[in-house]
Amino acid sequence: MKQTIRPKRSLADDIAGYAFISPWLLGFIAFSVIPIFFSLYYSFTSYDILGSPVFNGLDNFRRMAHDKLFWQSLKVTFFYAFISVPLRLLFAFFVAMLFNRGTRAIRVYQAVYYIPSLVGGSIAIAVMWRRIFIADGVLNAVLAKIGIITDYSWIGSPDTAIWTLIILAVWQFGSSMLIFLAGLRQIPTEYYEAASIDGAGAMRKFAHITVPQITPVLFFNLIMQLISGFTVFTQAFVVSGGTGDPLNSTLVYALYLYQRAFKYYDMGYSSAMAWVLVLIIGVMTAIVFKTSTSWVFYESKEGK
Amino acid sequence: MKRNRMFMLALVALVLLPGLLFAMPSAEEKGGKEMRLAWWGNPTRDERTLKAADMFMAKYPEVKIESETTGWAGYWDKLNTQAAAGSLPDLIQHDYAYMLQWVTRNQLADLTPYIKDGTIDLSKVNDSFLTGGMVDGKLYGISLGTNAVCLTYDPAVLAKAGIAKPDTATWTWDDFERIAIEVYRKTGVQTIPFFTTDPRVGFEHLIRQQGDVLFGTTGLGFTDVSALREFYAIQLRLQDAGALIKPEVAFVSVSPEEGEFAKGRSWVEFIWSNQFVATQNAAGRPLELGLMPILKGAKAKGTYLKPSMFFSIPAKAANPKDAARFLNYFLNDIEVNDMLMGERGVPIPDDVRNHMATKVDAINKQIFDFISLASTNSGPIDPPDPPASGEFLKMVRDVTQEILLKRISLDAGVAKIMNEGNNILK
Repeated sequence: MKQTIRPKRSLADDIAGYAFISPWLLGFIAFSVIPIFFSLYYSFTSYDILGSPVFNGLDNFRRMAHDKLFWQSLKVTFFYAFISVPLRLLFAFFVAMLFNRGTRAIRVYQAVYYIPSLVGGSIAIAVMWRRIFIADGVLNAVLAKIGIITDYSWIGSPDTAIWTLIILAVWQFGSSMLIFLAGLRQIPTEYYEAASIDGAGAMRKFAHITVPQITPVLFFNLIMQLISGFTVFTQAFVVSGGTGDPLNSTLVYALYLYQRAFKYYDMGYSSAMAWVLVLIIGVMTAIVFKTSTSWVFYESKEGK
Repeated sequence: MKRNRMFMLALVALVLLPGLLFAMPSAEEKGGKEMRLAWWGNPTRDERTLKAADMFMAKYPEVKIESETTGWAGYWDKLNTQAAAGSLPDLIQHDYAYMLQWVTRNQLADLTPYIKDGTIDLSKVNDSFLTGGMVDGKLYGISLGTNAVCLTYDPAVLAKAGIAKPDTATWTWDDFERIAIEVYRKTGVQTIPFFTTDPRVGFEHLIRQQGDVLFGTTGLGFTDVSALREFYAIQLRLQDAGALIKPEVAFVSVSPEEGEFAKGRSWVEFIWSNQFVATQNAAGRPLELGLMPILKGAKAKGTYLKPSMFFSIPAKAANPKDAARFLNYFLNDIEVNDMLMGERGVPIPDDVRNHMATKVDAINKQIFDFISLASTNSGPIDPPDPPASGEFLKMVRDVTQEILLKRISLDAGVAKIMNEGNNILK
């Protein structure tokens, strides 16, 4: 008797449901659905906002192949995402492990360590970041105190500028940490107790209980962070003053897309770029999903 | 059950209603006496422009001015969006860089009818101040002030190095280079790379002296690269002598207060004359204002007078008549200009300018004196930038950094600017 008989819903119930979500629904249609369809249309046009869009088929996509800055922005974005996401997750996991031991002040710590995630995307933090890493910034002042005197501009040198953004990303580990923490709390203590009785050490418990048990949470975090890594914008925009300087070393994909749209008024091309990004993120997510069967541990599956 | 349904329908209607109301144009907008005014600015300009609007409304109570203001970057996002939606304000501040693009898209109204019917009085304005706002003989924008590229330097540093103030009307790049190296040797104060925010302004000045224009109709307007090359060669020579501030530092965009010049690490800075007040405030010390140096063997004047910004009336403005009236008031009224204090640049009507020259403070007096020096040492302005110029300027700024960071040789850098420039602009 698996099938349950569903009670017939009345029209009134349907209407009531839609009525209650209608404020959100209206906003979603007006500010997401319609613009998304428009951008799909614009991606096949040449459009400078002032004039009317002119259909040009696949021209925008063909242009990308020869656009050096397009490839540069892809390179920067992949580098940024592939370095910052693992680092952030590692860091978040490490801190979550520390917090999982449950001292009394833990709530305070959780709040404190979550703050960077809340404020990290803000303009103020990005501005502060510049002050830390410019040639006469905080970092060099601290280095001078310990005897390393340098006037190296961390933000102005093409070799290091992207790393300042990566550090900023890693610093915002709070939300991943909270999710990890919730995951750690879900692991039944019986497992650890049983392992202790069998004489397992801390390392073995970690490797054979904690890590497998946390993989579903890691999977979720990885996907969420990959998406936010590929769409990073605000930090790069503010730290480089909107230019992607120095030498386009911080020209992340979304920043170049923005420049195309709002500096050169090349709306068709930037819409096309947006859809390419959707495709890239889709492929990345699909890869993670595909591989997940081999590394994500699901209790229900084991139980079958 | 029935009552229940009625209740639900009422609820849906209630929730949808605000959305419908929002979508309808408000009745007020259709009234004839409201005039929408938009500009980009800074707190000083906002305050003074709002005051000017108040003064106008006090004089003509039948007109109600609605003001919209943002910073430079957000301004164009907003204006372009409004243009696409067909809801542009009635009077908009415009810029030389975007003039041509807007005119070719039929977004701006020709102002000639308002001049003919006397709404806008240009009788005190010299024609040379109007050419910047003209495209194909039609006037699409009226200059709100005159601007010219300039160089500002710290006289105290020169005095410390024992160097006499240069006569900037006649000095050459050789003089500049000699002074820069001498200053560095005697005081340790360096020279900032030229025009870090927009290197084009710098080498355009040199290319004009060759007798060429930067932008042609289908690509770059010049083939002789010697002036372009010289622009970078001077900086590389200063760099080799240790006198140039590191590009890693100079190209990080910062507010004027955080800049190397304000901090006293450069003896010189390259700006537009209407940025002098802000530069002076940021530096907090007395500064001199002068013309850019002359290229050896110059055939023409590099300096030109540029309209700092325009007021333009969109082609589809709802209330162009009051927009034109306000524009005339803003331009010609002595009282309102006394309050505006030339914040947008040196005013173009002769009587207003002469009146202002007696009124302004010491720093603005420097600007007025500079503009009069520049007006006798300048050539005609080149046509407005082509639409692809934004992309070109970004490329130039990138290559400039590559050259100064020594990632690319001087000759390769110059060749890259020429090749990619012609490619982008074609």
